[in-house]
Amino acid sequence: MSDEFDEIQAIFFEECVEGLAAAEAGLSAMADGDTSPETIASVFRAVHSIKGGSGAFGHAALLAFSHRFENVLDEIRAGRIPATAGVVKEMLSAFDILSDHVTAAQEQSTPPVDGAMLAKLDEILATSGASATSPAEPIAPASSVSEVDVDEFGFTPVAAEIEEFDPFGFEPVAVALDDLDAPPDEEHADWRVRFGPSRAAVANGGEPLLVIREIERLGGHVVSVDSTALPGLRELDPEDSYFVWNISVPGSVDRAELNECFDFVAPDSLIEISRGDQSAPAAEEPLPTEAQVALPEEPAEPTQPAELPVRAAMPPDLTLVDNKSEATPVPKAAKSEKAEASQTIRVDLSKLDQLLNLVGELVIRGSILADRLSPPEQERVELPQLTRLNRQIQDSVMSLRAQPIKQAFSRVPRMLRELSAETGKQVALEVEGETTEVDKSVIEKIGDPLTHMIRNAVDHGIEMPEERIACGKAAEGRLLLSAEQKGARILVRVRDDGRGIDRERVRAKAIEKGIIAPDAVLSDEEIDQLICAPGFSTATTISNISGRGVGMDVVRSNVEALGGRVEIQSDPGQGTTFTMILPLTLAILEGMVVRLANQRFVLPLASVVESIRPEPGQVQAVSPTREVIELRGNYLPVKRLTEFFALDAEPSAPEDSLVIVVESETAGWVGLMVDTIDDRREVVIKSLEQNLHPIRGLGGATILGDGSIALILDLEALVAPSSSTSKHNLKGLAA
Amino acid sequence: MTSSTESGERKIVTFSLSKRTFGIDMSALIEIREWEQPTPLPRVPSYIKGVANLRGNVIPIVGLAERLGWEPSVPHARSCILVASIGGKQAGFLVDEVADIVPINDSDIQSAPEIEIEETNVIAGLVQVAARVQENQTGEEEGTMVLLLDLEALSIMRHMDAAA
Repeated sequence: MSDEFDEIQAIFFEECVEGLAAAEAGLSAMADGDTSPETIASVFRAVHSIKGGSGAFGHAALLAFSHRFENVLDEIRAGRIPATAGVVKEMLSAFDILSDHVTAAQEQSTPPVDGAMLAKLDEILATSGASATSPAEPIAPASSVSEVDVDEFGFTPVAAEIEEFDPFGFEPVAVALDDLDAPPDEEHADWRVRFGPSRAAVANGGEPLLVIREIERLGGHVVSVDSTALPGLRELDPEDSYFVWNISVPGSVDRAELNECFDFVAPDSLIEISRGDQSAPAAEEPLPTEAQVALPEEPAEPTQPAELPVRAAMPPDLTLVDNKSEATPVPKAAKSEKAEASQTIRVDLSKLDQLLNLVGELVIRGSILADRLSPPEQERVELPQLTRLNRQIQDSVMSLRAQPIKQAFSRVPRMLRELSAETGKQVALEVEGETTEVDKSVIEKIGDPLTHMIRNAVDHGIEMPEERIACGKAAEGRLLLSAEQKGARILVRVRDDGRGIDRERVRAKAIEKGIIAPDAVLSDEEIDQLICAPGFSTATTISNISGRGVGMDVVRSNVEALGGRVEIQSDPGQGTTFTMILPLTLAILEGMVVRLANQRFVLPLASVVESIRPEPGQVQAVSPTREVIELRGNYLPVKRLTEFFALDAEPSAPEDSLVIVVESETAGWVGLMVDTIDDRREVVIKSLEQNLHPIRGLGGATILGDGSIALILDLEALVAPSSSTSKHNLKGLAA
Repeated sequence: MTSSTESGERKIVTFSLSKRTFGIDMSALIEIREWEQPTPLPRVPSYIKGVANLRGNVIPIVGLAERLGWEPSVPHARSCILVASIGGKQAGFLVDEVADIVPINDSDIQSAPEIEIEETNVIAGLVQVAARVQENQTGEEEGTMVLLLDLEALSIMRHMDAAA
């Protein structure tokens, strides 16, 4: 397949991801009782576009499933299937399978097993939702039912129509549904257009699709295709034209505009334009009011199920019912939402990074200029204004990389549904602060830790419904997922209202696993922290959920690798809160600028415990190559960084140096001997790998305010106990 | 790294290094900068002089003479850094002096004989060019031999592996 095809297909999958997110958001809102027409329509639109693309790219399994899913959604949208809690629940399950289908199509792997779900969907369709397990009481208030009916343009027949289109390759016509965003003019009935191109029109290249597209641009859409003229295969003349399209156009559209659509259609084609009533050609006056009043308030609901298979043959007066109901005000939010959605563009992340680099350089050049000019000169050339502008540009560019954390949260609802199904525990999710913006790099990296935290909360925190009721709690557990920004940090919390950490058991387990000594005296907080210790797991049975070899220790190490930390707070019987404290961006590091042999290096501030100017005798050699520092009765290993990096420098006396005590993951507290501390600042991390290769002991480089480069120290590599393996490691890194 | 046109003609940048004239393909060149002491890197081979800031990108600066096995060039007033793109990565090369940009024909390139450096493959070929700079010094019209460097073959990364 060509690159171009792959490229377009990649865009399709990106859109699928967006569509899935929109569908899930809509379905979640529906589950929460918001069954407004816009919400339902948003779900429908999302699934519909996925279907459209899947057909175009030949993902048959995805197409088949999304098509059935869409049919049911269409019925819900039309109000013929009430959006009861039971139906919405099935829709959510169908959504999960749809996401699996998308993933399978993208990875070209085996499509998920969807037979059971398809059967369920068919059943819902056949019984108008009565088959969905939960109580049939509609979530929506009664008044909104008629609103659902109002289905902006009286789309009803469409879903059945699509089946008819497909065999003839008229797929694009169905896509017209996407464009149903123009609200109908309340004062006019819609235009009914019948369009049947003549044989001559088609022979002259009068592509009906082009005309239909033109009408769609005006806000119209195809209601049905009259294929009654279509002869049997034997008599079929491939060059003849048999179809007549019934098209609905909002009443607000000017007649002249509508006529223009047919300017280039051969004169002998069938073109009938009418208002409201299909059977009355060229009747331009609005329908008599009595006709509208006379129509039943709740259109034909009882007859719905029976009607489904014969929808294409729906009598005109029934269509009229829908048409009439359009006269009720329709919220216009759907349209503006769509307009907003189109205001975004896709940009390759590397282009943003390049821009960020250049802007960073601009700021640096600005400050170099400021250094070289005296204050009056700076004023004369308006440097302060330039500097301000530069900063603003820098902030704007940084904000381009920021994305709402919603993206990282989007997987959670589904995960919870699966967890509920697996464990039998009931969990209601609450989300707060999902609009909090975080650098894209952070969003990409927190998915896994978040997954583990939530699994842990459901598996270990939240109790079984009976147990909860026995404790006087609601049967349904609550899980709060929240995000907030505090200064340059982002706090992501997972709070459950479960049983809390069982400290007795944790302690016993830790002793059993040899993590702590049997006589260790630990505070409650320290015991809570033990669940993050490597190799710790208290689950008595290894469940499918938390026993996958991924424990809280993985969460901790993942989060720490991102320059953050995990805090645990637990109240027995009341629940547990896990907090991930993360930097706003992974590209920025809070660092301490130190000097070694007159060269500047940056040490991650997060790991710095304290800095000491050693007294004479405080640093002592324990072997020719090893030294320790005595700190409040403890002896910590000391590393001379100038030696580690083999920098040219006279070995200095410890008293003339500074020892920075750092806390490392692998070696605990270690003292690093440096010449001086220069500064403390936020630095932008640049990788050395990008143009060179990793160097042991260095985590990257950064550009300081004067444009010069300082190297960032990689603490873990510096404190790694053995130096004899360094050569080996270097090879491993460079490979 | 070659950018041959239909006629097989392309441009090369020539520069002097250890009294020899070298050339690299013009299409690989990003920019020519003045020599500026880079930030030294610990634990790297001596021909990597350090890293420098190229508009927000951290790029390695390579002592080309040392890399080719000659005496290290001593930076002087006319020393330059040729910043080039090599397989998507960027690197700066310390050279003694940038000479010229000259068009050559692919057909004029002769394959390199065994030269007294370890890896002969870094020389992509030899080509004669009429050298203006040389002309001023010697007053002769005859061409100069240019050693065309294959920057890909110089690959800093691959050499690092060997060094480690």
